[in-house]
Amino acid sequence: MITSHEISLAQHCIRHAVSSGASAARVSLNKTVTDSYTILNGELDKVSHSADRSIYIYLFVEGRYGTFSTNRLEQNEVEDFIIKAIEMVRMLGEDNCRRLPDPERTAKDALTGRELGLFDDRYFSLDSEERLASAMKLSKYAGIRQREEGFRLISEECEYSCTADDNYVADSNGFEGRHSETTFGTFSEMTIEDPEGCKYSGYWWQTCQKYDGTDYGIGEKALQRAVSQIGPKKRRSGVYRMVVDSTVSSRLTSPLFTALNASSIQQKMSFLEGSIGQQVFPAGMTLMDLARTPGKNGSRLFDTEGTATKDAPIIENGIVRQYFVNTYHSEKMGIPATVEDISRPCLMPFIKGRDLQDGEKEVSLEDILKLAQNGILVTGFNGGNCNPVTGDFSYGIEGFAFSKGKITHPVREMLITGNIMELWNDLLAAGTDARPSSRWQIPTLAFENIVFSA
Amino acid sequence: MYTKNYYTDLFKVTETQLQELTGTALAQGGDYCDLYFEHTTFFNLLLKDSIVSSGGFHTDFGVGIRVLKGEKTGYAYSENTEMKDMLGAAKAASAIATGSATACRQYHPVENRSHDLYPMKENWREKGANAFLPFLTDLEKAILAKDNRIVKVIIRLSDSVSDVLMYNSLGELTFDTRPMGSVSVTTVFQQDGKTENKSVSRSFRIGAEFIGPALLNEIAEEAVKGIDQRFEAIRPKGGQMSVVMGAGASGILLHEAMGHAFEADFNRKGQSIFSDKLGQRVCPAGVNVVDDGTVAYNRGSGNYDDEGVPAEKTYMVKDGILCSYLHDRISASWYGVNPTGNGRRENFRYNPIPRMRATYMESGNADPEGMIASVRNGIYVDEFSNGQVKIGEGDFTFFVKSGFLIENGRLTAPVKDINIIGNGPQALADILAVGNDLKIDNGTWTCGKEQSVPVSCGMPTVLISSLTVGGE
Repeated sequence: MITSHEISLAQHCIRHAVSSGASAARVSLNKTVTDSYTILNGELDKVSHSADRSIYIYLFVEGRYGTFSTNRLEQNEVEDFIIKAIEMVRMLGEDNCRRLPDPERTAKDALTGRELGLFDDRYFSLDSEERLASAMKLSKYAGIRQREEGFRLISEECEYSCTADDNYVADSNGFEGRHSETTFGTFSEMTIEDPEGCKYSGYWWQTCQKYDGTDYGIGEKALQRAVSQIGPKKRRSGVYRMVVDSTVSSRLTSPLFTALNASSIQQKMSFLEGSIGQQVFPAGMTLMDLARTPGKNGSRLFDTEGTATKDAPIIENGIVRQYFVNTYHSEKMGIPATVEDISRPCLMPFIKGRDLQDGEKEVSLEDILKLAQNGILVTGFNGGNCNPVTGDFSYGIEGFAFSKGKITHPVREMLITGNIMELWNDLLAAGTDARPSSRWQIPTLAFENIVFSA
Repeated sequence: MYTKNYYTDLFKVTETQLQELTGTALAQGGDYCDLYFEHTTFFNLLLKDSIVSSGGFHTDFGVGIRVLKGEKTGYAYSENTEMKDMLGAAKAASAIATGSATACRQYHPVENRSHDLYPMKENWREKGANAFLPFLTDLEKAILAKDNRIVKVIIRLSDSVSDVLMYNSLGELTFDTRPMGSVSVTTVFQQDGKTENKSVSRSFRIGAEFIGPALLNEIAEEAVKGIDQRFEAIRPKGGQMSVVMGAGASGILLHEAMGHAFEADFNRKGQSIFSDKLGQRVCPAGVNVVDDGTVAYNRGSGNYDDEGVPAEKTYMVKDGILCSYLHDRISASWYGVNPTGNGRRENFRYNPIPRMRATYMESGNADPEGMIASVRNGIYVDEFSNGQVKIGEGDFTFFVKSGFLIENGRLTAPVKDINIIGNGPQALADILAVGNDLKIDNGTWTCGKEQSVPVSCGMPTVLISSLTVGGE
């Protein structure tokens, strides 16, 4: 991965920038190697190998700021590149809020990149035959063709990929940080046709940082998701309870993180402006950023500026505890800096009107369906958007109607419309079933009073 | 327009080396291989809080090598053009085949291209940031002068120039230089304690002559257009209703409802809802739908696609009949037709796949006002952001940023922030009228099927009898 020569080059870039007129500089050197194998209907369809190497250079020149990158890393080329970059920054407007993070706030414990245990050295010992064999193991095509009943398998596409990422960040204040991780990813998509000639597709995937954690059974899950959609029925427009499966529930937290970012707030593009310290979410709702959990996807010891991450509450018992504030917006808005953005959000279990104790039993999708009794289970979103200024949203959905806590039939071509803050204030339950391999640990959710159009 | 030597010098490759690379790539028996050399420079400026307080430039350089064996693909790339690294990538890509070497055809460069769709009068690379700073500050002033409710203006100017050299085992050498200039503006307004925002963008394959007073006035005008309605807008009562799609950006309907489903890779694999519909009626008679790579200066255009195939105007639907899918070389070979110039990629790191370019419906005969007048209860929509489609099921959505209710044939209350959902074949069959006012939308449309590529879309005013509209 990143070599000592490349680290020397990154350090040289900082020195060269400062000696050429920059008051401060940060560099981020990235290397990524990915091998992927795609299997179509049981046969190898595509093999690809990629190896990327690039350097990002952040320049602070006389109160001005610019960002530059190149993948041409010969020393003389990079030196010329930096000189031209400094010339450009000098042309920009002065904004004295631009500066490096205070050295007190930068991470001191990301020295090798391996501290969080996200890199599996097994990556280096895998040869192309083993990778191809792993990809072929994903395919269930032949077996499924022999047991088609009530459907015909049109196509199966599987992909196996393994990636090694290495990132080295340093700045002219002496910060150095490194983050390395491997990712072993599997994906399967099944397209089937029912006896009436209607097509349905289902997909499933898994990512993990360890080779031994690879799940080769995802094809069956993808097929199950496709078959379960056969025979959708129309459902009338109306106000229903909504359960959102943990595979897609993060879609509803995403607008919150955008709104909690100081960049949005400073530009008056946030429906959470002025919410810090306020209870704007339901009592009992807690969302943590657990950035420093070893071995977990999404963990990191420093953000893109080099600021040390922390395990910290973002929303605690319904009260907003933290905006995401980088150095620039801290200066601009006169508020303390935190981190640039969320790393590994974890929504804690929640049941409206009930105090959940630490270690209380697990709350599954089935538990939440029983709790909600009647409504619509959302298993996929189809387009839609959330207005960052007002929080008004409208999303296409697909999923299942449920009654008395049991799924009854699939539904599709439906829409949900409302306001994201009103939605979260109608939170009925949050489970404990976030997918272990996901970066965002958002479990199955249930909401009341959701307007469905059909 | 540059000559062949400009590109071979830039990438430091010779005719002999190109042939050696294709020979190595086919050493294990592939049927076809191609090389895609790319050098792209990006430049951007950002104005916020009345200061152009950040900007930068970025350089990307490399070569992608693809080997085809039947419909199977081997792909690898190198971020430099040192022969040993390119040969390594060629060997990696060759792994898709296992057999004996395939012969390559003789080298023959295509010196006279059939199109010159985006000649640059002023090359972006020869301009410094200074050349554009007055435009940004003047644009901000012009916008602020138009409405005293504005509290923030954010302006982004970006440009790129890509030099591309393509060579393949058929011996064909082609080259192109592709500029792109984009300006986008977000304006935030406050009135009586309420906040609303409005975004506008323009993007073309054009040189730096793009930046000037005409563009400034056009964007400033649109940055404040319709903001009164936005403060008054309501959410309609949701459900199925007639929808009049205004001319221009409504082309997103075509992109989502049919364009993706007509991309031939989905059809070759049997995954698209339109897989078995070639030659069949999919729209009412008289409807023509085009995917066009030849619109001068258009964001989706290319003199060649990313497989070296010359641009063409492809009719997907003619007089209501599905007459062609959108092909890259793989699907064209599989279907036994000529490629349609739709083999596109994000950059040299990706293999090309069938992608749209500028997708639009040709004008019909209907009077747009008459269409609105014919609707008793429905909705008129004219401004959009994102969309999505499920290829197999054909269910598509697009997000409406603004429009109006139609009540008894008249536009009444403004509406905003609603999603619309429908099913592709049904929506196309439900087209009741096509207006005589085709308009191409020149915003910063980007399609995200596996890779991001610039596209555009357009449509005349169209009346659809029934779609499901989100609402309260």
